[in-house]
Order: sequence, then structure tokens, then C-alpha cells
Amino acid sequence: MIDKKLTQHLADLSKINFTDEELEKITVQMGDIINLMDKVKEIDSNNPTYTIDAVNYSDLRADEVAESSPNEDILKNSKETKENSFVVPKVV
Amino acid sequence: MSLTELRKKLDSHEISVKELTKEYMEKIEKKDKILNSFITVCDETEKEAIAAQDIIDKGQSKAMTGIPISIKDNICTEGIRTTCASKMLNDFVPFYNATVTEKLNNEKAVILGKTNMDEFAMGASSCTSYFGRVKNPYNTDCVPGGSSGGAAASVAAGLCAAALGSDTGGSVRQPAAFCGVTGLKPTYGTVSRYGLIAFASSLDQIGVIANSAEDTGYVLNSIYGYDVNDRTTSKKAQGNYLSKIGQNIKGLKIGIPKEFFSDAVSDDVKQSVMSAAEYYKSCGAELVESSMPSLPYAVSAYYLISSAEAASNLSRFDGIKYGYRSSEGDTFNELISNTRREGFGDEVKRRILLGNYALSSGYYDAYYKNASRIRKKIRDEYAQIFEKCDIILTPTAPTTAYKAGYQENDPVKMYLADICTVTVNIAGLPAISTTCGYDSNNMPIGMSLVGKAFDEALIISAADAFEKDFYKKEAVI
Repeated sequence: MIDKKLTQHLADLSKINFTDEELEKITVQMGDIINLMDKVKEIDSNNPTYTIDAVNYSDLRADEVAESSPNEDILKNSKETKENSFVVPKVV
Repeated sequence: MSLTELRKKLDSHEISVKELTKEYMEKIEKKDKILNSFITVCDETEKEAIAAQDIIDKGQSKAMTGIPISIKDNICTEGIRTTCASKMLNDFVPFYNATVTEKLNNEKAVILGKTNMDEFAMGASSCTSYFGRVKNPYNTDCVPGGSSGGAAASVAAGLCAAALGSDTGGSVRQPAAFCGVTGLKPTYGTVSRYGLIAFASSLDQIGVIANSAEDTGYVLNSIYGYDVNDRTTSKKAQGNYLSKIGQNIKGLKIGIPKEFFSDAVSDDVKQSVMSAAEYYKSCGAELVESSMPSLPYAVSAYYLISSAEAASNLSRFDGIKYGYRSSEGDTFNELISNTRREGFGDEVKRRILLGNYALSSGYYDAYYKNASRIRKKIRDEYAQIFEKCDIILTPTAPTTAYKAGYQENDPVKMYLADICTVTVNIAGLPAISTTCGYDSNNMPIGMSLVGKAFDEALIISAADAFEKDFYKKEAVI
């Protein structure tokens, strides 16, 4: 059963802030959604799981040196840059 | 007029690219104020048209040269804003092209604009867009379906000759059905996903929405193929998607899995799809009763898998490297959490939470692992059906397009409505949706033909055969 505490835990894992009111609302919605998802618990756990082998991965490409994207292109969509770097709040 | 015919008219100089482009731009100007199918309309279309005409005049045209198309706004276009219909990417201008965009540019197609959609392709109504809801050209009170609702509406209203969309759980086929046009979701690995902003990487596939099955194959011929930038593209995709057009239907074995015609599907839809089955029978096809016992588990498995992948894929949106950044937050963590709170819409937040729930300690085995078991079962069940059939016929959606506001705020109701389309993505198969009737309100009904992996040519040909004998009603807008 999903409660406000669990939703808060998921919000922390997801790095999304919610107000108390929003958290109440989404907890109810998540409860309904999880009820629907509970259907998968009915499957016999002896059944094999899907594995990545089912994807037809193509051959690896040749390991050739190629040009990277220019720094100015990579930085131009950022809100704050300085000296060829992204600016973030102080971490340590 | 088909794209093949349009090609001939352009190459014979019966019409010029400039005139053709101008005509579409005028229609967009006039009709899209109502429909809201475009987020961005390109301002350099005239320049592109002149460049395309130059190629034609030199006798060097390729299939898409000078053809005016729209591109869904989750596919990167260099120098053209690509938003995913989210506040998070409201001002994001990619500095590179998706492989499909590059292929279309190489052939000098004319890109008219970027189409509206559900935010991050999460939805089936095109109502979750940050840029407002898209309206259905058959009835503007109704939704166009989603998530490629703008793409489908733009084709149905004649605002472009064809459109690129993306399909993770039905997002090309269902809006095509709701808007009375044709939508093709190719086999996983046929079209490169490089530059498609990822939702669920093991399910996403770029597809085509157009006026006919033939036109979808025509466009696919120009965008398919192995790509060094996407290791999941397959060399088994061989092109020639129009090679089976005109092939006799006689002897074609069409599987009809009974679970797709349950009580969840409206009577109008069931009757219309079964009439299409009878049409094929009258042409000499054989209808084969078949079964997919795991269908009742499909929606839950799909939402667990796709949301788990989305939770991971969308973790890149932190406000640091690109996209929206909150002005609140003194620490790194606070900045990211506020950015994501303000930048994402409600449905995207629900999916991220669900994905992290399915993957988190204590829940992984019960949810993600069981969803993965169901995924394997569904793939096996398709393989069993295809032992006795060439193609499979199902409805595309349980209902026709509904009124906006009816169910978009009820996530469970919305998710359940994906029942007819999600198994195709789970199994990585190709499928095409085309119109097979209209309900009592004149809203289009779609049917889907599912094919064996990499056999797009056969479903395109079977849909084409039906379309040639079907009377299509025009959209009112």
C-alpha cells in the first residue's frame, strides 16, 4: 500500500520537490496506478524473464577516432557557464 | 495525391517546390490557429524550397526532395527549437540533427515545422503539452490521440504531405486512428533513434504518419537503416517497403486474436474491424482464429517497463547542461529538485515516480521482474500466432476520439485505453493503422495490421489493398 511516506521517498529518489498538498494528491493517484500495476504479480514466477539477448544488437563499429562536438556548442544551451564549464551551486 | 504522384509532378515541373511549400504554409497559417498541431513553424521554408528546386532542376532529385513534411517535436533538428512539448525544453535548440532529420535534409525534404505532442511523449490525448492541447480535425471538441497528436492532426488537416512521429506504446498508430489517417510503427531497430529524445529506449521507434499506407512506406524508404550512432539499429532492415504493393491478398493468412475484441472495446470499433476482416476474406484471405492469453497483463507490464526506463532517461534533465533552470535552490540538490518540480508536468512526474517505484529496493522483483516475464510471454505468444498466420488484425484503440477533458485527468483510465497497441512495442514488431470505418458521430475508427519482424512491406501492402476500396471521409477542418 502506498502512503505519503513512500511517495516522499520516491520523490526524493526522483529529485522532484512537491508541496505537502501536491504530495497528498499524487499519493492518491499513485495508489490507483499501483493497484493497476499489481496485475503483474499474478504471473507465475517460474516463467523466464525477457533478456537483453532478444535485442538484435548490431556489430560494434570500428574503433576510430572522430571529432567531438565543439565546447561552445555543448555549452550554448546552458543557463550559466563560465570558462568553458557549466556553473552549479557550491557542492563542497 | 500520393507522394509517388507528387514526386512525378515535381520532377516534371508541373508544380514547383516553392508553390507547393507556399500552399502548405498558407494552410498552416489559416488552420493551425484552431488545431494547434505545430509548436514551431519553420521560418526558412522558402530557402529550403529554393534549394530543393535547384536539385530537381539539375535532375538530381531523390524520393523526398521538395516534399513538405512535419517532424514531431521530440526529434532533434539542428538550429530549430526542439521542446518535447515541455517547459523543461522550452528554449532548447539542438546543435545536431537526429539521424532521420539528417537523412531528410540530405534528400532536401522541406521541413515545415515541429509538431505538438504529449509532454515527453507520455500520453494518448496530446492534452499534456505545455503548449496547449491539439484539436482533432474531425471534431475540434475531441482529442487527436497521442502522443503524436500534432503529427496526425497536421496530416489529416492537409498541413503537410507526411509527418514523422514516434511510437513507444501506440503513439503513432492511435493518433493516426483518431484523426483518420495512416500510421506506421516500424520494427524496433529499423529506424535510428539517434537524436530522438529518449522516453523508453527499448520500446521507442520513429514512425510515419501519412495519407495512405503507400505514403508511409514511401517515407520509410528514406529514413530506415543501420546507424553507427544507434547500436540497436539492425542490418536486417532492408528497405523496399513498397515492393509488395499490389500483391494478391488471396491465400494471405490473417490472425484474429480474440482477446483484442473484449468488452473493453466499443461495439462500433469491433463491428468496423470485423467488417474489414470480412473484406479481406472476400478477397481470398483466410481468417485464422488465434489467441494472446497474456493480453490482460500487457498494460501493467508496459507501464512498469516504460516508466522504469523513463525514470532513468529523464534523470538527465537537471537544469545544468540545458533546458529550464529554477531560480530557487542554494544547494546542488535543491536546484535540481526545484528545476524538475517546475519544469515537468504532472503526467511526467507520475511516470518518473512509478518508474522509480518499480526499480527500487523491495519492489523490483514484484514489479519490474514480473513485467519482464510478461514481456517474454507476449513475445512468445506473437511468435506462436505467426507460426500459423502472415499478419494479425486488431483494433487500434478501444474507442474513437473522445471529448477533451473526458479522461485525461484519470491516469488509470488513460493507461487502460492503450490495451490494443502496447503489445506491438513490447514484442518489437511492425504495425500499421489505417481507417476502417466511422462511428455514428463521423469520427474515424482505426484497425491495425501487425507483421512479422522486418516484414513492413507485407502489412503496407495489405493496408494499401483495403484503402484502395475504402471510401474515406474528409476532416471538417
